Amino acid sequence: MDVEFSIAQREFRDEVRTWLSENAPKESRPTDGAATREYDLAWQRTQHEAGWAGISWPKEYGGRGSTLIEQLIWYEEYGRANLPSVDSCFVGLNHAGPTLMATASDEQKQYHLPKILSGEVIWCQGFSEPGAGSDLAALGARAEIDGDELVVTGQKIWTSFANTADWQELLVRTSRGDRKHDGITWVICDMHSPGIEIRPIKTMDGGAEFCEVFYDEVRIPISNVVGEIDRGWQVAMSTLSFERGTAFTAGQVRLAHIVERLIDFARTQIGPDGRRPAIADDEIGRRLATARAEVATMRAMTYTGISRSVRQGSPGPEGSIVKLYFAELQKEIARLAMDIMGADGLKFVSRWLPDSWSGYFLFAFSQSIGGGTSEIQRNIIGERVLGLPR
Amino acid sequence: MPTSEQEEIARAAADLVAQQLPTSELRARTDEPDAVSSKAWQACAEMGLLALGLPAAVGGAGCAAVEETLLFRELGRHVAPGPFLSTVLGGHLALAAGDAELAGRIAAGSVRVAYLEPARGQDGMRGQRPDVAPEEFSGDAQLRDWAGAELALLLSPVGAGLVSVEALGEIKPCVSIDPGVRIAEVRAERAPLRAWAPTGQRDLHTLGLLLVAAQLVGIAQACRDMSVHHAKTREQFGRPIGVNQAIKHRCADMALAAERADAQLLFAAASYDAARADTEFQVRSAKLAAADAARSNAASNVQVHGGMGWTSEFDAHLFVERAEVLENTLATRTESLAVVLDLPAPQ
Repeated sequence: MDVEFSIAQREFRDEVRTWLSENAPKESRPTDGAATREYDLAWQRTQHEAGWAGISWPKEYGGRGSTLIEQLIWYEEYGRANLPSVDSCFVGLNHAGPTLMATASDEQKQYHLPKILSGEVIWCQGFSEPGAGSDLAALGARAEIDGDELVVTGQKIWTSFANTADWQELLVRTSRGDRKHDGITWVICDMHSPGIEIRPIKTMDGGAEFCEVFYDEVRIPISNVVGEIDRGWQVAMSTLSFERGTAFTAGQVRLAHIVERLIDFARTQIGPDGRRPAIADDEIGRRLATARAEVATMRAMTYTGISRSVRQGSPGPEGSIVKLYFAELQKEIARLAMDIMGADGLKFVSRWLPDSWSGYFLFAFSQSIGGGTSEIQRNIIGERVLGLPR
Repeated sequence: MPTSEQEEIARAAADLVAQQLPTSELRARTDEPDAVSSKAWQACAEMGLLALGLPAAVGGAGCAAVEETLLFRELGRHVAPGPFLSTVLGGHLALAAGDAELAGRIAAGSVRVAYLEPARGQDGMRGQRPDVAPEEFSGDAQLRDWAGAELALLLSPVGAGLVSVEALGEIKPCVSIDPGVRIAEVRAERAPLRAWAPTGQRDLHTLGLLLVAAQLVGIAQACRDMSVHHAKTREQFGRPIGVNQAIKHRCADMALAAERADAQLLFAAASYDAARADTEFQVRSAKLAAADAARSNAASNVQVHGGMGWTSEFDAHLFVERAEVLENTLATRTESLAVVLDLPAPQ
C-alpha cells in the first residue's frame, strides 16, 4: 500500500504545478452563457495543446495514456491552485467521453472523443424529464424510427449547459415493453438540430446554465445510437457509475482546499463574540476541525475508489457512498462558512468569484439533488452494495 | 488498499479471534477477575498476535503498522476482551527502551501489560520534557485489565512508560459498563517507571491512537453487518424490514460511516509506516471518523434490532459499550479536534 508518490510521480507533480502556475487563466470565470462557453473551451484548448487533457485517456483518442494516479495528481494540483472547475466541459470529459469509450462504435469514438479533449465542443446531458426524475426509467421522450433516422418528440429538464452545448447524450424511448428499463435508447443528439427549443431555468444560486429542452420531431441519424436500440438503460447506468465513481475526484480534492481557505478566513474574520477571530470560538473551532478531518476521510475514500477502479476496471456501486458523502459534506461546510461570515454572508457573491461563500452556500443545495439525490444514493447503497431487498 | 498478503494475515487473525475469544466466552467470564482466560491469551500469543509488529529476534513477525491495524480491526469486530492494546504497545515500548528481554517475554504472552488512563485534570506524563526520562508516575488514573498483568502502560504525546502494577498502590475495582474490560481506580504515589521511551523515531502514542481507531472501525463494520443481516431476515407486515427506507437508509448511512472510517484508517496506517509528515493529522482524523462511525453504528444497531437489541443476552450492547471505552482511550473527540485544528494543513 502506497501513500507517497513514486519519484516519477513526484516529477510529474512538479511539472503539473509549474505548468499550472504559468498557464492558468488570470481572469475570473465570466457568469453569462456565451462568455462561459468561450472561457471554458479556451482553457480546455490550452490544457490540450500542452498535453494535459485526458491524462488517463488512451493516446488513440488524443489522451495522454497515463494512469488514474497521474490524473489524480493533476486534480490535486488543480485544486491546490484554486482554479475554476471546467463546468461546461464536465459532461463531455466525465460522462459522455467515458461512456463512448466503453460502448460506442470506432467511428463514433474517432469522431467525438478528440473533439471533447481538444476543447472544440461542449456536451450536455438529456436524461431527466418532468415525469422522470429519480425514476429515470419512466422517461417518455418518444423516438420513432423512420428509415435511417430517429424522430424525437418530447421534453428534457435539468440540462446544464444545453444553451451552450453542441452535443447531447440523450435518452429516448424507442419501444414500450413489459419492463420500463427496456425500450430506452442512448443517442448522440446534435443540439443545433431543427426542432430543438431551449429555455433557461434560473437557479437559487443565480446560475443561468440550467435549462429545459423541447424536441419537436427532431431528426437524429440512427448511426448516432450508442450501443443497441432499446438497450440504452445499460449504457446510461455505466455513465452514472462513472459519474459517481471517479468523475467527482476533482471536486472532492478541491473541497480539501476549500476547507483550508475557510480555516484561514476564520483566523481573520471577527467571530460571534465580536472580539476574537471566529476560529477562537469553541463551536466554530470544533466544526472547522471536524470539517478538516472529514474532508481527509473523503479524500481517503476517493483514493480507495481509484485503487478499486484500477484493480476492477470500473468504479462499481461503491461510488454511491462517496457521492452521498461528498454531497452532504459540501452542504455542511457551506453552512459552516455562513456561520463564520455572519451578516457579511447575506451579500450575494457568485460562486465563480474568489472566496464567494454565499454563492457556494446556495450552490451546495444542488449537490444532494443532481446526479441522483442523496435518497436515491441511499437506495443504491442499500440494495446494490449491501444487498437489502427492494 | 491493503495487499492480498496483508488481508490474508487479517483473515487468519479473524479466525483465531472468533475461535478463541467468542462473545459467549466473554459472557461466561463476567465473574472472573480477567475477561480473557490464560488459555485463550496463550493461544493468541502463540499465533503471534501480541508481536505482529516486533522483529523476529524477539519473537515477532516483523510486520508493519498496516498489519497491526488490520489485526486490531478484527479485535474490534469481535469485541475481543483482553489487554491487547497495552500489551502490544508494551512490547514496542520495551524494545524502544532497549529491553529486548522484556519485549520477548511480552511477545511470548508470559507478561500481560495493563492499561493506565490518567484521570481528567491529571496530565499523566504530558508535562514531561521529551529529553528527560521521568523516573516515576504519580496521580489518579483508571487502570484497565490488570488481572495477571505485571506491568501497566502509560502513554503520552511526549513518551511512553511502563510501571509495575504492584507499585500503583491500592487497586479499587469498579463495575464496568463493558463486561469485556475490567476497570479500577488507582492513586499512584511516586510509582517508579520500569521503562521509558520518549517519542522519537517510533511514536507510540500515535500508534496507540491508530490501533484504537482500528478497533472502532471493526465495531462500526460489525454493527453494519449485523443490522444488514437482520434487515434482510426479520419480517414484519409480511416482508423483510429492510425494504423500508427508514431501515434501508439507516443501513446505508452505517455503510457510509464504516467505509469512510475504514478508508481513512488504512490511509493513516500506511502514512504511519511511510513516516509521512502529516501522519499525526491522518491518525487523529482516523480516530475521529472511527469513533463517530462506531458510536453511531452501534446505536443504530440497537435500534434496528428493536426490543431484542436492548436485551443483555443479545450482543448489540457490547459494541455500544466497547465504543465508549475506546472513545475514552488516549484522546477523546474534543481533545482530538483541538489537535486537528492546531496542526499544519495536511499534505
